[in-house]
Amino acid sequence: MLHKRIYQFVIVYFIGLAFLFAVKGIFNLSDYVIPGLSDIYITVTRVFTRYFFDVLNTLSVAIVGHVISIAMATAVGIIGRLSNWMGSLIRTAAFNIQAYPIVAVAPMIFILMGDGLSSRLLIAAMICYFPLLLSFIGILSEPITDIEHFYVHSGRMRWQLEVKIRAFENMNKLITVVAGSATLAMVGTIVSEFIGASAGIGYSIRIALYQSDLSKILVALFLIGIFTSLYLALLELLGSTVSRNWGTHGEKQ
Amino acid sequence: MPVECKNINYKYPGSQFPVFSNLSCRVGMPGFHALFGQSGVGKSTLARMIAGQLNGFAGEIKRHEPVKIFYSYNLERLPGWSDVGEHIVKVTPEANKHRIDEIIESFGLSACAGSGFSRLSLGQRNRVNLARYLLQDFDLLIMDESLANVDEATREQIIYKIKDMFPQKSFLYISHSVAEVSKFCRNILVLRDYSKAPQIAAIDGRDNLKGKDIVKKELEETMLEIVNAS
Repeated sequence: MLHKRIYQFVIVYFIGLAFLFAVKGIFNLSDYVIPGLSDIYITVTRVFTRYFFDVLNTLSVAIVGHVISIAMATAVGIIGRLSNWMGSLIRTAAFNIQAYPIVAVAPMIFILMGDGLSSRLLIAAMICYFPLLLSFIGILSEPITDIEHFYVHSGRMRWQLEVKIRAFENMNKLITVVAGSATLAMVGTIVSEFIGASAGIGYSIRIALYQSDLSKILVALFLIGIFTSLYLALLELLGSTVSRNWGTHGEKQ
Repeated sequence: MPVECKNINYKYPGSQFPVFSNLSCRVGMPGFHALFGQSGVGKSTLARMIAGQLNGFAGEIKRHEPVKIFYSYNLERLPGWSDVGEHIVKVTPEANKHRIDEIIESFGLSACAGSGFSRLSLGQRNRVNLARYLLQDFDLLIMDESLANVDEATREQIIYKIKDMFPQKSFLYISHSVAEVSKFCRNILVLRDYSKAPQIAAIDGRDNLKGKDIVKKELEETMLEIVNAS
């Protein structure tokens, strides 16, 4: 699973790089616009270690933000699944708020909270929170009638059991949604760093942009891709382990 | 008489024709009874109304005394996180736990107890589902094709066992087998199309018990009566 994701990313990355070199060749662009291979190599030797730790920094913020958003989406999704006014209010609010681009709110967060860790964390969490919440509400509000019927009519149904049944029956969907939102968390963190933070790979990309140094951006993109692939692979592994252990508990012969 | 349905009128939302038109019947006397009728005539709908799981109909369903009604149907599933044995122990009230082994064994489910529900055949799944309902505290159990996909010999064994173990309880067995309902049931409610009056006809069954011979001619008469009524 892990090596597959890395292979896939490396292939896509080098196809992109080849495209850039093709554009450079066709339009006869200077090294200032699109650097040559030797320039990229020199940049790699100069910034690789620094960028490595910058991406690590970004990834750690993204992971914490992702975990926070999963916890929040689970808690709010459990309430939002209800068919009463509270559930309806949460569903409507979630649909309306998620339509507003978080990136547009990001500068306000930096003004109010400064350019430190908390702003990056909040933006990362907010960017992946709403898609997660909408999926969680959708999954948790869908009754699994053929299983729930017995519990409901024998008076055994509790909200914890209802959530457990629905989560269990939709485990693969939940894992896909959680893994998919990991990319959003990473994107959110990088965007927040790019907009206003003073740390992380997003911040380094902003500096590289001011210097018009495409080599640095290419190195940053490579590292971001590798680390994101690693995180996604880790989540998929975690998901399949949970699914295997929980899902096949009753499968022993 | 625990449950009495009076002048039930019901039409599914968006449907042009009613399912029930002035339907009246009585269910809930101790014993093994049947609800018989052609597909789509409204057997499951009526069963769900009796169990209190479907409202929005005109008429009245009277319960003369507090009565615990359970409705089981053949597409139910058990949650996948525990095996069949664990699940049954968990959902059985303490007072009925002594019956678990007897029911599991007589239903031919001993080998399935350690398996996950998804690993079982359709017939085994239906038997497991019925077993957990029988272990509840109920007055009336509606069995909506609860023994579908179970072979004839096992079905017979299970029905005899139910009649033997729960003589004071009431069962409403929904089945498409004329021979089966004629042979095992005390009373057969034949549900017909809404255009026929009365919409439901009650016919006496042979109510056969284990070890007792059945007169073939009488059984055939009952079967004929049911077929004519339906």
